Amino acid sequence: MPRAWKSPVTVRDTAPTPSEKSPQQQQLLLFAEPPPPARPFSVTPTPVRRLWFCIYLPNLPLEACRTSDAALAVVEEQHGIHRILQADPAATAMGIMSGQSANAALALLPTLQLEQRSLVCEQEQLKHLAAWLEQFSSFISIAGRDVLLLEIAGSLRLFGGLRELRRSISKGLREQGFSAAVAIAPTPLAATWLARAGRRVCIRAEESLGPTLRALPLGCLDWPAEQCESLLSMGVTHIGDCLRLPREGFTRRFGAERLLDLDRALGHLPDPRDSWRAPQRFCVDYEMTEEQSNRELLLNICHKLLLLNEQFLLSRQLGTQCLCFSFFHLKSAATELQLGAALADRAALRWLDLLKIRFEAMRLPEPVIAVRLRSGLSQPLQAETERLCFHSKGSAQRRYSIAQLAERLIARIGDQSVNALSMVAEHRPEQAWRAQSPLSGWSTSSLATRDNIKRPLWMLPEPALLPADRGYPLHKGCRLTLLDGPERVETGWWDEDGIARDYYTAVNGAGNRLWVFRNRQRSPEWYLHGLFG
Amino acid sequence: MSLAKLLENPRVWRGGSQLNTKTGLASGYSRLDRCLPGGGWPQHGLTEILTGHYGIGELRLLMPALAQLSAGHMSSSTDEPLVEEPMEPGWIAWVSPPFQPYAPALQQSGIDLSRMLIVRPKDDSELLWSAEQALSSGTCAAVLLWPDTLDDQASRRLQLAAEKGHSWAIAFRPLTARRQPSAAALRLELQSTQQGTHVHILKSRGGRPAVLDSLL
Repeated sequence: MPRAWKSPVTVRDTAPTPSEKSPQQQQLLLFAEPPPPARPFSVTPTPVRRLWFCIYLPNLPLEACRTSDAALAVVEEQHGIHRILQADPAATAMGIMSGQSANAALALLPTLQLEQRSLVCEQEQLKHLAAWLEQFSSFISIAGRDVLLLEIAGSLRLFGGLRELRRSISKGLREQGFSAAVAIAPTPLAATWLARAGRRVCIRAEESLGPTLRALPLGCLDWPAEQCESLLSMGVTHIGDCLRLPREGFTRRFGAERLLDLDRALGHLPDPRDSWRAPQRFCVDYEMTEEQSNRELLLNICHKLLLLNEQFLLSRQLGTQCLCFSFFHLKSAATELQLGAALADRAALRWLDLLKIRFEAMRLPEPVIAVRLRSGLSQPLQAETERLCFHSKGSAQRRYSIAQLAERLIARIGDQSVNALSMVAEHRPEQAWRAQSPLSGWSTSSLATRDNIKRPLWMLPEPALLPADRGYPLHKGCRLTLLDGPERVETGWWDEDGIARDYYTAVNGAGNRLWVFRNRQRSPEWYLHGLFG
Repeated sequence: MSLAKLLENPRVWRGGSQLNTKTGLASGYSRLDRCLPGGGWPQHGLTEILTGHYGIGELRLLMPALAQLSAGHMSSSTDEPLVEEPMEPGWIAWVSPPFQPYAPALQQSGIDLSRMLIVRPKDDSELLWSAEQALSSGTCAAVLLWPDTLDDQASRRLQLAAEKGHSWAIAFRPLTARRQPSAAALRLELQSTQQGTHVHILKSRGGRPAVLDSLL
């Protein structure tokens, strides 16, 4: 008579002495050593209760490659013959079922759309779903080809309870065109099995897990087919039957891994899972069905991509300062378009605004076959602070901030042509100021100003050589009258731009005041350097 | 027909009606303020300054007003005791200046340098676009521009953009523009002589032409 299944004891306050150990427990310790934790977060044996939400996507192969409403079937090559793996309801209604050869299916329904199964595409879809699910939980795990797991114990309060959470997830899945079976259980494996068995149940307490799991058929386990067959031939049809078998014999026949599965599902052993994290940079491609050169249409596509980007950044509370569009052509190299913003932003409309300005001036050498949007480094969103203003005068119709204005100007007329001014602590007049990019943060440097020395409002880009008449400077053929000066500036000997000049304020025949200097270093020539505007 | 009914006709313009409102921005030159309707520079509109050369005092004329705008407090009129109204500091955009605005001198004139934006567009159409953007953005208190040409239509667009964004557009134009029609609210002509720079008010909406000798 085989010994009945007994729950192994994994948590004890004091370590049992060898004499205390029953043979059964010793056996258990041989293989039930918990594996080293992959991530400490997922395996801490704390009394924190975990609750796993499993999403099983049985029709993923079909849903992953659906592009139109036509009757669709997915084929997979088995022994050199393409056989139907899955068919959608429209195809099933015409008598097409899985296992049929592709030719037979086409004979039944000539308009049937056949697609080769693509595991890559399915994984992409799973990742896409996982990224979407990140709004519901901080812990998402992709388990296998068609299962997603969420740890939701921490999310229940925020989303208004289990029922509400399940409703919003199920609704979202439906809207995205996925038919999913969901189940909730305290262990990830139990949740997976329940979902695979199609039980829409929600088990919150670990104690009530056993009875429910025992009733599940073996078909919902992801065990190898030959093991399942051999179990079935032994008359073991349900998990409950497995649990009645002696542990030693079960391990010998089917391997320790199967026993570990059962222990983990029942919550006797920890079941660490890898947490999946969505990439923090956004990159998406849009492939056209045909070559396009219609700009309106391209802008529309870009808008769609920008909306996706906004969604991506919104769920992470991030923004980005630069975006890069690539327009791919059939023959020539891709056309790149970079957009920059002063502040990290995610709003699609604002980016579209900038894009439109640049798009007008962009030349596309050929029609476009695909568009890619890559976002730059993401960063925490810096929201602009608006002042509380109760004063009617201050609250003029502000359409956009100065940063937005600078972005727009830069987008149209270029990076080098829009500048802010700042002072530099330097005695050489031409180096006492600096033009800086308005997007690089508005820094102001201080310099002790000497009010007694007047500076001209207009500065010439380069000092202009003045003709001289017997040592006196001429301007427009007229001798200048020196009013003020000299102010001697002799500095910069430590680098190549050293100067030695005497600056004067002069007035010309028309009454204009000029800022001129005489070079002391080399030949004593007169230069015009500024106008007192 | 009664007089009141006649005055309701929108085609009847009453010159004196705007003179009493103290809406202008004090220019810092009391002689000029007295000649301008509203007691100062007309805000939220286009002002044209016609000069033969650059550097004859056209910037000096504006500096006191620009300093007020960049600092964010303004006295609305010279006649009344100075009433400082809290106002958001505005940006000052320079679109296509003929020379480099010299930062130390601007600072000496009391302008907040961190509120300057220098824009150098490549051609006239970009210049007008930039000026219009800056004016209608609502963040620039003043936009100074030096267009090569400015036709009637462009000046009207600038005037509308300035009204929309509650901004002050100042266009610097050559003396030849005197004959061209313009939508500007105020047109000044500057002439430099040995005695100083004379300011002629050519056109002033709601005011009268005037000649101010040796103002600068």
